[in-house]
Amino acid sequence: MSYISGVEALAVPTRRVILERLRAGPQPVVELARGLPVSRPAVSQHLKVLKRAGLVTDRRVGTRRIYAVNPDGIARLRAYIESFWTAALAGLKAAAEADTTRPREKRRKPR
Amino acid sequence: MSQTTIAPVRVSVLINREVAEVFRVFTEEMAAWWPLGTHSIAADTHRGRVRAETVVFEGRVGGRIYERMSDGAEADWGAVLVWEPPHRVVFSWKPNLTPGPMTEVEVRFIAEGAMTRVDLEHRAWERLGERAPDARRAYESGWPGVLGRFAERAKAGGQP
Repeated sequence: MSYISGVEALAVPTRRVILERLRAGPQPVVELARGLPVSRPAVSQHLKVLKRAGLVTDRRVGTRRIYAVNPDGIARLRAYIESFWTAALAGLKAAAEADTTRPREKRRKPR
Repeated sequence: MSQTTIAPVRVSVLINREVAEVFRVFTEEMAAWWPLGTHSIAADTHRGRVRAETVVFEGRVGGRIYERMSDGAEADWGAVLVWEPPHRVVFSWKPNLTPGPMTEVEVRFIAEGAMTRVDLEHRAWERLGERAPDARRAYESGWPGVLGRFAERAKAGGQP
């Protein structure tokens, strides 16, 4: 599963809220759904997507399934942000190094 | 989850131009190098109907960083917090319309011989952590928020 799918998983605001809540500590679905404006089955669906994207893990404790943040998945997303800025600065480099007109204009100005 | 698992993102690039020139292109000519087609609020929200035409970086403390769209609307990305031309600029950062904490970006322009090294640091949560007692919560919510905003843009543009 690539980090892009993790990025896409977080494009839905409700899933961001769920992940934010999980950062406080591992929780079962019932607790996660409390206070959210979506149904428990909907929360389960969102958790499934987050799990597929590698952002959360789950384990069974008795009859309940406890969800937790997956630090590896978060690290992959961090790498994605890093690659975004790397690409943006490569654009800056290309623009700055291509921009040869300005210094010449400056030299033409009367002193 | 320990806070130390989330460090600021740091990226550097070496550019074959003098410091003042690189600083000028970064700020005054942001529209020339920023990927507006995929990374803009217009790309997020209008999906092609309205385009981001330019991005304006107002060079002073308190100056706005905003995009202007083809329908004339403006949308803020952040505000200048530190303005030290041509060596350093710090700005708040939230290039989207969804509510949430602002992150922070610091950019340093360092001479390396005739070239310039640009060091960019994208951070937020440490700053929030020092400021307010409820900052822990802000900290917790900061990272997924940032990722989500990039996610929305990546999605709107297909590939990042």
